[in-house]
Amino acid sequence: MLNRNILMNAALVGAFLLTASAAQAQCRSFAKNKCVPELAPYKFNESFNGAQLAPGEEAEVNLTFFSGQEYRVLVCAHPILGEVNWKLVDNNNKIVFESLADKPKKNFDFKAASTTQMKVVVWVPPMSGKSDMVHVGCVAIMLGFKE
Amino acid sequence: MRTSKWSLILAFIPLFAACSGGSSEQDELDTTTTTDPAQDARLEKTRNIFYNVPSPMETAALLKKAGAQYNAGILNDVKNVDNYTSASKQALNLGVYGADLSYASVFNQTQESMFYTSCSKKLADRLGVIHAFNDSTLEAMESNMNDRDALLDIISETYWSMDAYLKENERENISVLMIAGGWVEGLYIATQVSKTNDAPELRQRIAEQKLSLGDLIGLVGSYEGEEEIVGNVKADLESLAALFADVNVGGGGATLTEENGVAVIGGDSPAAALTDEQLEAIRAKAEAIRTNYIN
Repeated sequence: MLNRNILMNAALVGAFLLTASAAQAQCRSFAKNKCVPELAPYKFNESFNGAQLAPGEEAEVNLTFFSGQEYRVLVCAHPILGEVNWKLVDNNNKIVFESLADKPKKNFDFKAASTTQMKVVVWVPPMSGKSDMVHVGCVAIMLGFKE
Repeated sequence: MRTSKWSLILAFIPLFAACSGGSSEQDELDTTTTTDPAQDARLEKTRNIFYNVPSPMETAALLKKAGAQYNAGILNDVKNVDNYTSASKQALNLGVYGADLSYASVFNQTQESMFYTSCSKKLADRLGVIHAFNDSTLEAMESNMNDRDALLDIISETYWSMDAYLKENERENISVLMIAGGWVEGLYIATQVSKTNDAPELRQRIAEQKLSLGDLIGLVGSYEGEEEIVGNVKADLESLAALFADVNVGGGGATLTEENGVAVIGGDSPAAALTDEQLEAIRAKAEAIRTNYIN
């Protein structure tokens, strides 16, 4: 009986890891096929920052912007999640740019006059209405630059 | 035209030979999944918080804009590729050769780009990253060797694919070593180039690496404890960070303005700079760390 439980638990853990790995692969595939093209004419900086998020969950990434460079910050979410909220904040947590789900903007293009670090924070709005289904989808935060 | 293409291919043969060969012994980098609390904390942390380290291509492009010159003599010798028999050395030097490849490509050094591509592919093969870096990648590069932009796009996509492949296959420790190797090589190149081309812009770009270094230490630190080599690399980076400690690179608030319809973000800090002593210390440390990685 004990052995059977151990086997069952091992199978469940294995299935979870396989599912998580497959979900991560799907996220990268989604980013490569749907998000990278949206960076054009900016060059993708080759760093993938993405994860499977559920409503109510949040993701953030610190980005370094170098003076004199032109950038595109792109937040790309799988349609299953609907529109997501995101903002670009400086080191004092002051909002430099914000896109809210009711008036969404996928990207923000700008020139960095001085070198600075800022943080992109993405959060998926909670589901409206009552549903037993929790939709999980890929959200990618991507950076493009002009050479 | 055909003659020149064949001449180029013949010129590559000795270096491809240096960057080809059989399989070699691997050390065992643990890629199994554990359930220790530290890893659980890391998984929770990495689920939603990311560390973004500028890619070798982005760094090379910044160096070129800063007035850096191309110097083939400072890059890792392609003949060294056969010396890397352990997985950890292969991962670190995949990053090193990747940075050399980006540097050569950004400066339009077509032949050397192909040499470093070949070395990178050899290490990628040994690490089992064949899905991300296969023969069709090499063919695509060869057929675009005169189209710099296309070449840079292929290199960028290959770097990203390798990183993604490693992460998807739960080999993040290899990915982290590759990223660290590439970053160290980028700093090494910049500091070596500054010996003969000591422009203020170049010093500024070197000083600004303090910001990337902080993110890199955060990334490497999230895998510390899994492998001894990862801990050693983190210690190397922290020794560099100590030399950057007094370097002022701003980091305050940002202001948003608009110029000719383009959003402009400016900080309220002066441009980063390095004293002669700081530059010399960072250069020496970067060289020592890099020498340890490539030998």
